[in-house]
Amino acid sequence: MGAHISIPMYQRAVSQKYRMLAQKCLHCGKVNFPPKAVCKYCLTGSKFEHIQLSGRGKIYSHTIIAGGGAPPEFAAEASCKGSYPVVLVELEEGPKVIAQLVNPLDREISVGMPVTAVFRKIYEEEGVIRYGFKFMPAPVS
Amino acid sequence: MIKSVVSHGIYIPFLRITREEYINTLGSCNADIKEKAVMDIDEDVLTMAVEAARNASTEIDISQIGVLTLASATFPYAERVMTGTIIQALGLNKNILTSQHGNSTLAGTEAFLSALGLMEETEAKYALVIISDAPAAEASSDMDHGFGAAACAFVLAKAEPGLRFEGTYAYSDEVPGLRYRLPGDKGVRDIGVRSYSAMAHDDTMQASVQELFNKMHRTPGDYQHVVLHQTSQKTAGALAKKLGFSDGQIKIGLVYDQFGDTGSCSPFIGLCHVLENAGKGAKIMICSYSPGSGSHALSFDYDNQFPDSSKKLQYFLNHKKYISYIHYLKIKKVI
Ligand SMILES: [Zn+2]
Repeated sequence: MGAHISIPMYQRAVSQKYRMLAQKCLHCGKVNFPPKAVCKYCLTGSKFEHIQLSGRGKIYSHTIIAGGGAPPEFAAEASCKGSYPVVLVELEEGPKVIAQLVNPLDREISVGMPVTAVFRKIYEEEGVIRYGFKFMPAPVS
Repeated sequence: MIKSVVSHGIYIPFLRITREEYINTLGSCNADIKEKAVMDIDEDVLTMAVEAARNASTEIDISQIGVLTLASATFPYAERVMTGTIIQALGLNKNILTSQHGNSTLAGTEAFLSALGLMEETEAKYALVIISDAPAAEASSDMDHGFGAAACAFVLAKAEPGLRFEGTYAYSDEVPGLRYRLPGDKGVRDIGVRSYSAMAHDDTMQASVQELFNKMHRTPGDYQHVVLHQTSQKTAGALAKKLGFSDGQIKIGLVYDQFGDTGSCSPFIGLCHVLENAGKGAKIMICSYSPGSGSHALSFDYDNQFPDSSKKLQYFLNHKKYISYIHYLKIKKVI
């Protein structure tokens, strides 16, 4: 989620940002997320079918962004929360994605911890709200 | 045509602030909450709406949804299509009938009733109604103490068993000066005349409930559960008594003291709790209210219980984190 993606460019990616719509390579069967022009696994396939990711996965790696370390678009969030965790998540369907972790529990964030995607505001600029996914610890059933 | 609610979903923010925290920091708390739900800095009524709708539609073929109605008195934009945000976040068909309802806490029942009507205009099986609200006032105003946040969503179906809609009665009158918000203002205000506001509250809801009884040839005793709009635990309870309902009839649906005033969501969040506890064959009434003033009473027959939802109200009652008043002010962007 880099800084200053233009709004038209952001709009073209709403399906992937809002509900994790991914593409499955018709050549090798691997799931590409975010979508690619050519499959990043077989480097051959360029035909895909859309698939809806479950949003479920496990923490592969994690870090804490301290107040001063946040990019400008996250400054308001950082000043409210003090610091916030960012996680690299290995999704059930295979791809790994980076996003913020919300509602961290009192127990430590750890590798392998199950998480699930939630719909949140990512940041706001010129009154335009950019929505997208973050993760939260999966509910214990 | 018979129309029924066939599933429901809830979303309550993770963050809560307690009455004690208000008393410890401000010296008093104007609202009879135990605690209330608070949206985090990266939440708004649309993010809550999406989560509630996802919880409502886990067992539903969403390609069969032909109607989407969305309600909130506190949308993040004063002008803009926001059903499109929901359509993208859920992956609904883009050619469905939509409507947005705002401007007052009647928005929830308006969205529900509109969906029943719009269903007549489509061949599709389902309608999705989402009500999400987070009333706000200036932090310096006592009105803010009780203002909470919540969302709920309902899938309506034609000719399927569930919570069958039986009928409604609506009542509106001109009562100025109560809970209003001017363009550009972030919060609501009120002229603050308690007796005037209490009279409007009671008279408006009494008018819709009594007339619904008359229209449907019912008495208070015919209902197992009643959920009145809740702007305070005490006033909702007192009005129910005045209308002839017992504590037992209102107990399960009265959830104000846990989440606060959830605006247009208020009668619906109570309804969700009722649906998770009521038995088959129960008659249920809900009644919305908005200062200004208006009220809708709706009558239902619970002829088939819903499939078990993994995220019941109980989940949200347990799943929470308490914040300090300072943290609360940061979220409200006061400091
Ligand atoms: Zn491939």
